[in-house]
Amino acid sequence: MLLLILKRVLTAFATVLAVIVLSGILIHLVPGDPVTAMMAQSVTATPEVMAAMRARLGLDLPVWQQVALYTGHVLQGDLGMTIRGNEPVARLLLQRLPNTFALAVSGLGVALALGIPLGFLAAIKRGRLADTIVMVIAVLGVSVPAFWLGLILIQLFALKLGWLPVAGSGWRNILLPALTLGLTYCALVARMTRSALIEVLSEDYIRTARARGLKEHRVLLVHALRPALISIVTVVGLVFAYLLGGQVIIENVFSWNGIGRLAVQAMLERDYPMIQGFIVVFATSVVVVSMLIDILYGFLDPRMRQR
Amino acid sequence: MTVLSQTVPRRPRVSPTVLLGLGLATIIVLASLLAPMLAPFDPLRMAAGPRLAAPSLAHLFGTDEFGRDLFSRVLAGGRLSLGIGISAVVSGLLVGGVVGLAAAFGGRLTEAVLLRVIDVLYSFPDTLIALALVAFLGPGIENATLAIAISLVPFYARVTYGLAAAERSKPYIEAARLAGIRSGRLVRVHVMPNIGQSLVVMATLGFSSAILSAAGLSFLGLGVQPPSPEWGAILASGRNYITKAPWILIFPGLAICLTVLSFNLIGDSLRDLADPRRKARS
Repeated sequence: MLLLILKRVLTAFATVLAVIVLSGILIHLVPGDPVTAMMAQSVTATPEVMAAMRARLGLDLPVWQQVALYTGHVLQGDLGMTIRGNEPVARLLLQRLPNTFALAVSGLGVALALGIPLGFLAAIKRGRLADTIVMVIAVLGVSVPAFWLGLILIQLFALKLGWLPVAGSGWRNILLPALTLGLTYCALVARMTRSALIEVLSEDYIRTARARGLKEHRVLLVHALRPALISIVTVVGLVFAYLLGGQVIIENVFSWNGIGRLAVQAMLERDYPMIQGFIVVFATSVVVVSMLIDILYGFLDPRMRQR
Repeated sequence: MTVLSQTVPRRPRVSPTVLLGLGLATIIVLASLLAPMLAPFDPLRMAAGPRLAAPSLAHLFGTDEFGRDLFSRVLAGGRLSLGIGISAVVSGLLVGGVVGLAAAFGGRLTEAVLLRVIDVLYSFPDTLIALALVAFLGPGIENATLAIAISLVPFYARVTYGLAAAERSKPYIEAARLAGIRSGRLVRVHVMPNIGQSLVVMATLGFSSAILSAAGLSFLGLGVQPPSPEWGAILASGRNYITKAPWILIFPGLAICLTVLSFNLIGDSLRDLADPRRKARS
């Protein structure tokens, strides 16, 4: 088990390091000169100011040196300063990170609370009407753009019925964005739960349990659901990563003060240090969460420990 | 007679879902292709009708904040969205396919290195990869298409690798290798025809994801720029009139949903046909 943890931690570290290097290289994708692109809307962009900016970002150095410097700084927790407000990128991102996580965890909670029972129902009623309905919901769920669903929910619950606030950050404000994310990703959870449960239900020990005369609800809840849930744990990591990805847009729809909203603002203003910082922080979150899920899976399923 | 009828192999039944998907996709593709003929107004023409007019016979989907005809804009948006989707999928599939094949047939070291890189990239949501790239490349239709194409590469590389690696261990490949056929020719002549069909199926699923990414990027103002009538861009401008003119929100959104739904239905059904074991579980 210790070996599994060590292996996963090392892999995660290597991945994060690769992302940092990549994010250092990405600024060179900017067509033409990044400083000219950044200062395009600025009235104070004299040649001297632009040269100073180039020096501040280290853009006058050779590419490999820039990337090495950037990686070194990031590893020490320094993500640079924003172009617009000249504020530390790391501080701004860390201030907003709890909001992003609160929304992601709530969204995931809704997705699991809806998806697992739906998948369970579809599996035990396989081939019947309930199954068809759940599968239709699942296909619709992956076909509806989350930001559109968000706008529809705003229109319905906030503007028409007036039950919930349109935007902002607070516990009442989290309900609509969390519901949007949950509804979007519950389709994925329902599908995975259904497949996992169908596979478990075909195992010999389920037949044995039934043959022993156990009540059907006991067979389903105790003997089938528990092992199925273990395989659902692996899916949770995947769903969480995709949910975080989709959340960037949702934070903007609901004006939720998370790092996704900050990032899109930076993207529109071409604040490259902020964008680089966002990529590093976001990718690290995805990597750490999937690492923790892998380790948790190791604890739950003894077979994983031997690998 | 009964015994006979049981032994005759039955043709696979075409499922109603694939028919629904094909029907929807045909209508959407035709409507987009024929948009210039079908659209009653120029999609960019301001004051084609009153501002924020509700759907009527003159303006089937109503008008937007500049009095532009929404029906014409949604039709023209279809051309843009489908164009971005097709270009991104074709380029993503080409690059991803080559990377996947190289990993499967390029020797142990190449396989180990490429697979690690693909797996790392694959663990990040494609929306995020597209967003990060567009942030540096800058907004615009070409850059958005390029970013979405690159974001699809890990998915296609992983799928191609999986299919090619499964073929690699089959006897006909070993026989071809023993006959002295080199890797390049082996892949071109023997492997490609065998995995091509499955790749087309996966391309369909990638297409849905490309359409969603394109709409998302344009909605954020990072993809197709106004006044171009891309569906996501129309939604972005329509969100300010959510109470006054909900139709600006409803019709482009439905267009995205139906397009993505049709390709998901086709992709899912084709995948089940190609892999009956999967069908048994799903």
